[in-house]
Amino acid sequence: MSIVLKNITKHFGPDLVLDEVSDEIPSGSMTALLGPSGSGKSTLLRIIAGLESLDHGTVELHGRDVTSVEARHRQIGFCFQDYAPFNQMTVFDNVAYGLKVRRIGTAQRKKEVDELLGLVRLSDFGDRYPRQLSGGQRQRMALARALAIKPEVLLLDEPFAALDAQVSGELRVWVRSLQRELGITTILVTHNQSEAMEVADRIVILHEGRIEQVGPPDQVYDKPSSDFVHGFLGPLTTWRGVAYRPHDLQLCDVDAGPRARVVDVIRLGFEVRVVVESDQETTWVQLTHHEARQLNPVVGSWVSVRPR
Amino acid sequence: MHRPSLALRVAVLCYVGALVALPLGFVFQQALSHGVSAFVNALSNAEMDSALWLTVRVAVVAVPLNVVFGLGVSLWIVRHPSRFSRVFDTLIDIPLAVSPIIVGLSLELAYAQNGWLGRPFAAWGLQVMFSYWAIVLASVFVSLPLVSRQVIPMLRSVGTHQEQTAQTLGAGPVRIFFTVTLRSITWATAYGVTLTIARVIGEYGAVLIVSGNIGFRTETLTLNISNNFENFTPYQGFVGVSLLSLVSIFVLLVLGHARHRERLRHEYRT
Amino acid sequence: MRRYASALTGHGARGLAVTYLSLVVLIPIAAVVTHALGNGLGSFWSALTQPEALSAIRLTLWCAAGGALLNMVAGTATAWVLVRDRFPGQSILNALIDLPFALPTVVAGVTFYTLYGPHSPFHVNVTGTWIGITIAITFVTLPFSVRAVQPILEARTFTAEAAAATLGASTLRVFRTITLPAMLPAILTGTGLAFARALGEYGSVVFISNNLPYRSEVASSYVYSLATSGQVDAASAVSLGLLVMALIVLIGVNVAAHRIGRSQ
Repeated sequence: MSIVLKNITKHFGPDLVLDEVSDEIPSGSMTALLGPSGSGKSTLLRIIAGLESLDHGTVELHGRDVTSVEARHRQIGFCFQDYAPFNQMTVFDNVAYGLKVRRIGTAQRKKEVDELLGLVRLSDFGDRYPRQLSGGQRQRMALARALAIKPEVLLLDEPFAALDAQVSGELRVWVRSLQRELGITTILVTHNQSEAMEVADRIVILHEGRIEQVGPPDQVYDKPSSDFVHGFLGPLTTWRGVAYRPHDLQLCDVDAGPRARVVDVIRLGFEVRVVVESDQETTWVQLTHHEARQLNPVVGSWVSVRPR
Repeated sequence: MHRPSLALRVAVLCYVGALVALPLGFVFQQALSHGVSAFVNALSNAEMDSALWLTVRVAVVAVPLNVVFGLGVSLWIVRHPSRFSRVFDTLIDIPLAVSPIIVGLSLELAYAQNGWLGRPFAAWGLQVMFSYWAIVLASVFVSLPLVSRQVIPMLRSVGTHQEQTAQTLGAGPVRIFFTVTLRSITWATAYGVTLTIARVIGEYGAVLIVSGNIGFRTETLTLNISNNFENFTPYQGFVGVSLLSLVSIFVLLVLGHARHRERLRHEYRT
Repeated sequence: MRRYASALTGHGARGLAVTYLSLVVLIPIAAVVTHALGNGLGSFWSALTQPEALSAIRLTLWCAAGGALLNMVAGTATAWVLVRDRFPGQSILNALIDLPFALPTVVAGVTFYTLYGPHSPFHVNVTGTWIGITIAITFVTLPFSVRAVQPILEARTFTAEAAAATLGASTLRVFRTITLPAMLPAILTGTGLAFARALGEYGSVVFISNNLPYRSEVASSYVYSLATSGQVDAASAVSLGLLVMALIVLIGVNVAAHRIGRSQ
């Protein structure tokens, strides 16, 4: 039971948005489509949902070719970036919409909607209108609405992008545990690396309409297959012409290796960023608070830099 | 997002075509029905030329008056909001809800020899009714809010930060007005001015009542057209109609361009 | 900031603006109200309920309602096609919508008279009938209906429609349950504006209507004939009646649109 994408290609006018994208998304997994804006990730999600046509390629849901099936017959739960609330309906009616379309009887509908509202912790908000909800609540309403039709696949388009950092952080943890609990195959689109790392068990990195790398978070982070993935998944700095992650470098005594002069020390709470200058380049090295206290780098002093 | 079906597109094209495009084409067909030279001859009809000239003379006074008024009250209403300015904001919209015939009647009542305003003017030796000035008054009345309707929302959406920045950079009020404020409302103003011109040139009902419709004296182009139809010289009428239609097409082009440049409100209340 | 703005709109300028508005609009309108009510409510009412007045007002209301309702449907469809469809010549269609607004009413009036009058090239003569009047009103009010709805359709990306589709709704159901409710306040506003405008329409109607009392005379024509035959008090009374009706429609529509739109 999985989603299989084969050679999906899509142009918008003359622009090639997706270029022969193929992937197999395992059943029950939480996959993140990760890429910068314009990488084609949202378009791919909309193609899977049937909201966008494709030039060629196929989409299979659980072994069934749905490429030419309309969105409304695909049985897919889709959450939009702006949550797409039905503003003229109450929260209850929003969640009930898909059930009404499926002609579920009133009593059964009420029972199911109440359960869903409980699941997304909106039990007391059924009579409200979407505009009376906070961003996080609206997001959970959209999720309940998508889950109401008992979808086989859940698609989330930038689900946390419009929320402030704290709400976003809480919702990530909650969505992750909800997905594990329901075991529903989920694809999430995001441009935020840490969000993808935190929520997904599988990351697909898209760049200019092509898949750059697929793998579990650890693997794509530690073994990037290209310079693009390496740079996209975290900050990079160069030391003697080689790219490193700033926390993969360390500072040592001046006579322990090649020399560099400390030009700035920036304290970012737990971390300390030390900017050093050698005759070749400017490099920054990330130290923990603890390391910084031991080394005590002072602006103007000389140190040496070594890969850890 | 569903695209409309072909049938709906065709239905809409037929509807707008029959209701709007057909009459417009018909106007020019009629005006040129006796050939180009007849049309050119008819253009130099003395009474029509006199009417055209009067319309131009009315527009060059009425339009600038309403543009200055519209810009001034927009600044006042947006930048100095008070209970009084809000009342004023509502009052300037009155002309949008009044029939041109009622406009004419109201001006006639107020500016007649024995009217509230007619009497003092008569004492100064100025008879307003049935004169050039009555036509200007009627034109000003009907087109009064067309500039402010466009400029007020634009001023609101632009906000004051740019003006304040200019102020911190040392610009004086006049300089700020011309370099910052006016620039941000250029297209809204252009839109409003174009609407004002169209309305002033095209006004009929109000002018019919207050002008007296005296040939060669208080006969505007719209009155001239209607007179030609009532006097069974429809060809000459269609020559005037085609002139005004050309103006309308020009107005459409300007409006379309202004709307293209700036997301303007589509406010149609006249 | 205050100093800057007040330099342009100081007290003197403000006084000038108030004087200008009073001279042009407020005092003349007050004169109409005074003449309408000056002889007491009884004579105001009797002027409004003269058989000829009643017949003119009734005809005006019917034709205004007909034109406004026709454009409620056709104008919404036009706005829909303008925003959602793509075809060559679309920008010309878009520009044409404004024509009734840019074209002098008298031009529309004589053109319709020639097109659908006694010398009609199509041999269709609707002069002196409600059909002719309604055609003219439909023409004049088209932009109100289209332009009220168009910005709403343009401004909203309507992910809600796509959401409804993923939940299994058919095209028709999406339109009925999602799109139409979202457009409804704007449709109402546009229809109300069109109706109010139609109540006072004169130039475009007067030629094709033939102004036959009790048959094809609209309210503004009736006011005109009263005013030009020296019956200014009766003319003022009918005018005030028309103004009040237009006001009630505009306020009613605004309240209704606001009620419906409040939840959105």
